[in-house]
Parts: sequence; C-alpha cells; structure tokens
Amino acid sequence: MKLLITGASGFLGQYVVVEALRRGHQVRAVVRPSGDVTRYTWHDHPSVEFARVDLRCQEGLTSAIEGVDAVIHLAAAKAGDFYTQFAGTVIATENLLRAMVEAKVLRLVAISTFSVYDYVKMENNTLVTEDAPIESNPLERDEYAQTKLIQEQLVREFENTHQALVTIIRPGMVYGRDYLWNACLGAELTDTLWLRIGARATMPITYVENCATAIVLASEKEAAIAQTLNVVDDNLPTQREFAKKLLKRMTVPAKLIPVNWALMNSLTWVLWYYNKIILKGQAKFPGIFVPAKLQARFKPLQYTNAHAKEILGWTPKYSLDDAFERSSSDADLLAVSPQASPVSA
Amino acid sequence: MAMALRAAVIGTGVISKEHLSFLNTSARSQLVAVCDLSKISAQYAAQRYQAQATFADYRQMLTEVKPDVVHILTPPHTHKWIAKDCLEAGAHVICEKPLTPTHEEFRELWAIAQKCDRYLIEDHNYRYNEPILAIEKFVTDGTLGEVQEVEVRMALNVRSGGAFADENIPNPVHKLPAGVIHDVITHLVYLTLRFLPVEFERISAAWSNHGGGTLFKYDDLDAVLIGGSKHARIRFSAHTLPECFDVIVRGSRGYAQTDLFQPYLRCVVPRKAGKQLSPLVNHYINGSNLVKASVGNFSRKIMQRTPYEGLQRLLDETYTALQNGNPPPITFEDMDHTSRLVEALLAEGNRV
Repeated sequence: MKLLITGASGFLGQYVVVEALRRGHQVRAVVRPSGDVTRYTWHDHPSVEFARVDLRCQEGLTSAIEGVDAVIHLAAAKAGDFYTQFAGTVIATENLLRAMVEAKVLRLVAISTFSVYDYVKMENNTLVTEDAPIESNPLERDEYAQTKLIQEQLVREFENTHQALVTIIRPGMVYGRDYLWNACLGAELTDTLWLRIGARATMPITYVENCATAIVLASEKEAAIAQTLNVVDDNLPTQREFAKKLLKRMTVPAKLIPVNWALMNSLTWVLWYYNKIILKGQAKFPGIFVPAKLQARFKPLQYTNAHAKEILGWTPKYSLDDAFERSSSDADLLAVSPQASPVSA
Repeated sequence: MAMALRAAVIGTGVISKEHLSFLNTSARSQLVAVCDLSKISAQYAAQRYQAQATFADYRQMLTEVKPDVVHILTPPHTHKWIAKDCLEAGAHVICEKPLTPTHEEFRELWAIAQKCDRYLIEDHNYRYNEPILAIEKFVTDGTLGEVQEVEVRMALNVRSGGAFADENIPNPVHKLPAGVIHDVITHLVYLTLRFLPVEFERISAAWSNHGGGTLFKYDDLDAVLIGGSKHARIRFSAHTLPECFDVIVRGSRGYAQTDLFQPYLRCVVPRKAGKQLSPLVNHYINGSNLVKASVGNFSRKIMQRTPYEGLQRLLDETYTALQNGNPPPITFEDMDHTSRLVEALLAEGNRV
C-alpha cells in the first residue's frame, strides 16, 4: 500500500513510518516545510517520499494526498495555548479531510487518544472499553482533550458525510526512548523531584513500537474499517511498578513525594465546589487540582486491548521490561532495511 | 436600557476570545453571528460563546444578518477591504490594531466611514487598563505636575517559538511596514500620545534586526521623540527578559510607572511628610503596593484576568456610546494621530 503519514516527524510518527516500511509499504511522509528530513535515519529509504506541507493551511494538501491508498493521521499539537492546539489539531484535520475528499482518498486511520473519555462519569475500577462515555463537559478538561474531542467529531462527520472508510485508534499514554516519564505518574516538580499521585492505579500505557504496529495493522485490515480501537499493552503496570522501573534507570534517581489518591481527589472536589459557588467558576487552577483533569490521569480503572487484538490480529510484541530495555539501549530502534516484502492484508 | 446592538465577529483567532467573552455576557450586545474561513473554527466559537449563526463568507453574513456592529479580528492586511464592506453594509466597525498598515489607507477608510455615517473604532485597549487609568488620574488631579516625559517599553520574546517565529506559515504581520513590531506599535504609540498629546518635531528611530535572518524585518525599535520641551521614548525589544510592558510618566512634580503585563503601580511624588521624609514615605508606600501587587497578580492569574482587561472596559464604553447615539471613546483624533506617528517613526528621514 501507499500510505500518507501525517505527523511523520513526531515521536510516534517516526515509529509508524518505520513500521510501515518494515511491512513493505510505500510511505509519503508529511513533514513541515522547514523540517530537516536528513535527521531521520529512514529519510533516504527507497520507499519513502516526503510531502512538505503544513496542515494548518490548505495550500498543496490535495496534491500531497493524491495517489495514496490510505492516510494515517497522527499530526496534532500537544503544547501551547488553546488556539495553538486548535490550529495544530483541529484546523489541521479540517484541512486534511477536505483535501482527502478533493483527492478522492477516503481511507483514514485517525489517531485519537484516551483523553476523550469522560473519567468523572466512570466508577473506580471500571473496565474502560471503546464504549466508555465520551467527555460531556470538555471545558473542564485541558486544551489537548478539548481539541482532540473536536478532532474526533470532525472525523466522524467525514465518515458519515462521505461514506469514508475510517478507523479511529485511541492509544493510551505512549512511552518509549526519551519519553519514559508520563503524566499518569504524577507531576514533575523538578528533574529530580516528583509528586507521585496514587500508587496502585493501573497505567493505560502502550510502548511506542507496539502502538506503531497496531496503527499500521489498522491501515491494512479491512476488518478495522468503521472501528474504534483502544490500544494499550498487555499486563499493564501500576504506577508504583512503573515508577520503580523508571527510577532504577536514572543515573540520579528522582525523589518521590507520594500523595494519596483519595486525599488528592477529595481536595480537588473541595476546590471545584469553592470555584463554582464562591468564585462563580472564574478561577483556573493547575490541572492536578481540577477533578476532571486529575481523574483522567490518576483514577484507578481497568483497561483492555481485547477489541484491538481481535480486529487487528495484533499482539504487543514488547513487554514492559523489553520496552525499558530497548528504550535504554544504544540500539537504533528506527533502523529499517531498504528491502522489505509487502504484506498482504 | 436601549435595545442590545446586534454584533458580529469576523475572525476567530486568539484575540476573538476577549471580544466574544464580552459579547457573550454584555447586555448591550447580542451576538448574532461569527464568521471564519474555517468552518469548524466558526462553529466552535459560536457554540462556546452562543452566537446565533456561523458563516464562512463575511459578505453573505453582512447581507443575511445585517449586524449593527462588526468586530474585525482578521490579520491586519485584510482590515481595509473588510472594514469598507462592513461600513457600506451599514455596520459600525470595531477593528483590531493596526487598523491599516499606512496612514493614507486609514484616511481613505475614515472617509468611507464618514460617507456611510458609521463609526470606525480601532482597538486601543490598554488605555483602559486599571494602572493606566490610575496614572491618568495622577495627571488630571495634578499629582505628577505637568507631564514632561513618557517612556513606553515592551519586551516580547517573539523570536523563541510562537506564531511570529513559525517559519512554516510565516505570520502575515511580517509583511507590514514595521514587520512584527507593527503588531504592537499601535499600543506603544497611543499610550505615548495618551500622556503626551503633542506634535513631535524631532524623531529619531533606530529599527534593528538584531536576531538576523529573513523572517523578521525588525526585532528591535529604539525611538526618541521630542516635541517642544516634551520627550518620549518608545522601545520594543525581543532580546531582553522578562517580557514586560512598562509605562513611565514623568511630570514636573513626580513620576508614576507600571508594567501592564505584571501590573503594579509606583508613584514617586512629594509627600505630606515633607522634603526630607518624602523618599522614605515613597519607599514605604510603593513597597507596600508592590507586596500587594504580588498577591494580587497571583490572584489575577488564578482568576484568569489577563492584560486584556482594558478591552472589556473599552467595549463596554463603546457599546454604551453607540447605543445612546454618542461618539465612541476612541476618536478620529486618537486614531489619526496614532497612525501618523507610526508613519513618522517609519519615515526614512527619521531613521538612525
């Protein structure tokens, strides 16, 4: 297949490109006009070509898409204020989908996130499946969740209006080399001082190489069309287990300030009611003091990847220990041989 | 109260949040439509701020909705033709700064507004921030004596990330005569003129691009202006931190200063304690005010009060005036003088 991959220069995007190449696909990698492609080890692979466009504007998008079989849409803005993230995630998706219609390419694998779920509505220890409630009050959530919710809405409209062949992948927290810390552990006060909120909650995580495989499989499998798939790894660790492994690999281990989850949760609700009743909802507290944001990161819940495994025939290849080992090694994880055999769906 | 004015917004970028939050809550306005080339952006703004309709084509909006007031919040190079269409469609126009890139275009647009019997209002929001109003009071009640000097200084880290440093989609403001500084120069100039509304005979403006490269035309302005015995300094820096927006007004009796980004008020004047003790009293009072400001600014951050607080006040006064058939608070003279002075700062003959 010929795949157009947006966000190809991002953390997950690079692994998706490499996995697609390893599986014998041709890749048209979307990178921003000013990006230096030579820094990617795979930039001169014979099956790679680059489309230098910025999804935030429409110019050149249609021609960039023409001739591909499917689009894997990873590009999103994860930092900046609301309007920066709106442009990088929502307007980028609006432009991409319009160009896909013009280019008559209607197969899309859209990468969403676990952040779209409504965690306040879930009881402790609920099993989070693809049918879990979607956030009903986005303004209580951070800019990332707000913009990814609108992005999913756009993708659904595209699917319904144009009878497009859409798969929505919702990965949990993606971790890997240089990205071992994640927001489900707590807050990084400094490089060596962490606030760990809770200890026993299961972490909805997926190692970047495992996740990349699931995403490429989704583009290959017909069974994935019209599906929404949660992607997390097997044998998910608790916060304590993950933190222990992470600390072991640090040259100067960070100091942890443990905070009890139930206590923190109660405190945020007190602040929330104070804000709503006394301050008329005008206050904006840091994320860990807002119930909806706190629960999205630390609430004790259960997770499953059963649906993704069934639809994609996917098994996460690397365990948590393997993932830490690979992430901490010197191996070139993005190396790909110039020859790869195309796979059949 | 008179009937709420039917308001529409064109452009739903960052600054729209400030305009829309006013229109959503003010009893003087009724938000009838938002317009943006991006359909989803217009939809989001309409849903978030309860607008009645969305459009991607502003001309269609003007025809179908017939708003009383249009807020133009699009990039500066688009203002002139959009404002012209709005005025000719019978709407008053409130426009983000700079209203036009040149003084000549401002005069053309003003002539159209006059012909259409509509008001044209440029956003001079910082004039309505609390510390500026407080300094104005010091001036009018004679606390500072006769104003002799004004210094307006903005430091913005425009070269390190953000919309202006983005090389992938160069911000249209880079194409304006003063480049990225044109995005803020209106503020620097109208604040100077607020306290020194004089004609400056001698202007010396150093425009520099210290950071180099082709994306930025200028990233630094250091201008000295002299009119009779009055002196002003207008300064923009992209290379000094922390970011600030300092205003210092010096009079014949004393001076007052503030930073509009981290608001505080310092006023050094003769005190009742007499000449010998005045320095001590000034230090004590200003020290106390600084401590209060530190707590106040923390509270402002939590309560989401931004340096745009003056915009809410300006819009409220503008809508009140328009409802009552009175001239708006930002006058032709305010805008004309500001636009002329910006042009003078850019003039070849005044450069050093």
